[in-house]
Amino acid sequence: MGKCPSFEEGTAVMLQRMELIGEKVVPNDDSGNISIYVNPDEEERKYLTEILKLDEHTLASSLDPDELARLEFEPDHVAIISKRPRNYSSADTFVFRISSIGLFLFADRLIVVLSENVPLFQGKQYARVSSLQDLTLKIIYSSITHFVEHLKVINAVSDALEEQINASMQNKYLLNLFSLEKSLVYYLNAINSNGKLIERLKNSAVKLKFTPETIEFIDDMTIENSQCYEQAEIYSNILASMMDARVSIVSNNLNWLMKTLTIITIGIMLPSLVVSIFSMNVPFPGMDHAMTFWGILSLALASVLLVRLTWWWKKW
Amino acid sequence: MVNNAATRKVVVLNPAGLHARPSLAVAQTVRDSRSKVEIRTPHETVDAANILQLLSLGAAPGTELVLSANGPDAQEVLESLSQQFANKFGL
Repeated sequence: MGKCPSFEEGTAVMLQRMELIGEKVVPNDDSGNISIYVNPDEEERKYLTEILKLDEHTLASSLDPDELARLEFEPDHVAIISKRPRNYSSADTFVFRISSIGLFLFADRLIVVLSENVPLFQGKQYARVSSLQDLTLKIIYSSITHFVEHLKVINAVSDALEEQINASMQNKYLLNLFSLEKSLVYYLNAINSNGKLIERLKNSAVKLKFTPETIEFIDDMTIENSQCYEQAEIYSNILASMMDARVSIVSNNLNWLMKTLTIITIGIMLPSLVVSIFSMNVPFPGMDHAMTFWGILSLALASVLLVRLTWWWKKW
Repeated sequence: MVNNAATRKVVVLNPAGLHARPSLAVAQTVRDSRSKVEIRTPHETVDAANILQLLSLGAAPGTELVLSANGPDAQEVLESLSQQFANKFGL
């Protein structure tokens, strides 16, 4: 890995510059050797590709959510494209999406390119950072923990939607579950892709001059990532296998509602029938009797009672 | 069992707002308590134990939220939630 050209050579405007001091990542807007670009504009891209010699395609991959995680060796730096969960917003309507992050590791600098402005160096894993290589790996590691935390959220959302489905007949909750299922497929693909990247990092340990401690950390990352993948796979399988049952529950809820409505309709229809028969414009025996009105009313009420008793007897 | 009512104002400090992980933390804290907690924004009020409602709240960074709790441990749960908001949910 060669030395990165000085930033004074370009006029790029970057979001944030940091540096490593005493094993901690701290902001340094003047001469920080860790640069974070969020959605770089044309001028910044030009600076990155022409002065820092980043490959244009790899730079575009850092911002493309559909790109696969990978490791590429360039003459003076190593380019790493990793996958991370995109921050969820209320507009996403239960679709948890993926974004990419580009890590360009030079001998003396680290360039981070990503598509959304997120706080990168937060969490206990950044309490002790020994080198830029270590920091690069910790950024990938924090993606794994981010995935694990999002899986917990997906599980909680799935449980909450299930409760809603049990009590409702609306399709929107089912559609939300479909969105969650789709999200898990995205996550599985991204976690698997990160797994391949970690494997490649381990295989390139000599070329990347990783220390035994760093290799040990990569082993831990491999285990964490495979656990994360298995968790996502289990959630995905459960969600997929339970979907048919949930569809049936919604259909069954609708059937119950239709049955109740039908019984209520019959309950109203029978007294109407009784009253209608006696409302025909023809004479009938006893029509002039003082108690006839009450007699008809009693018949109508008896018909309601009959429906209720039949309902109870038949256990409808 | 004595039911206490308490209210507290908090501000969303997380740069990404009240997104997925903070919403889960809030819902879990409220579910672990014995109080009913509501979160009010200038536009709507949601049940803090319901993650679906929290996610749909879309509270951006800097939004002021009013937390109101009602139950035997209302003060404790609001204290715990306020600390989480102040610590940016450890993120």
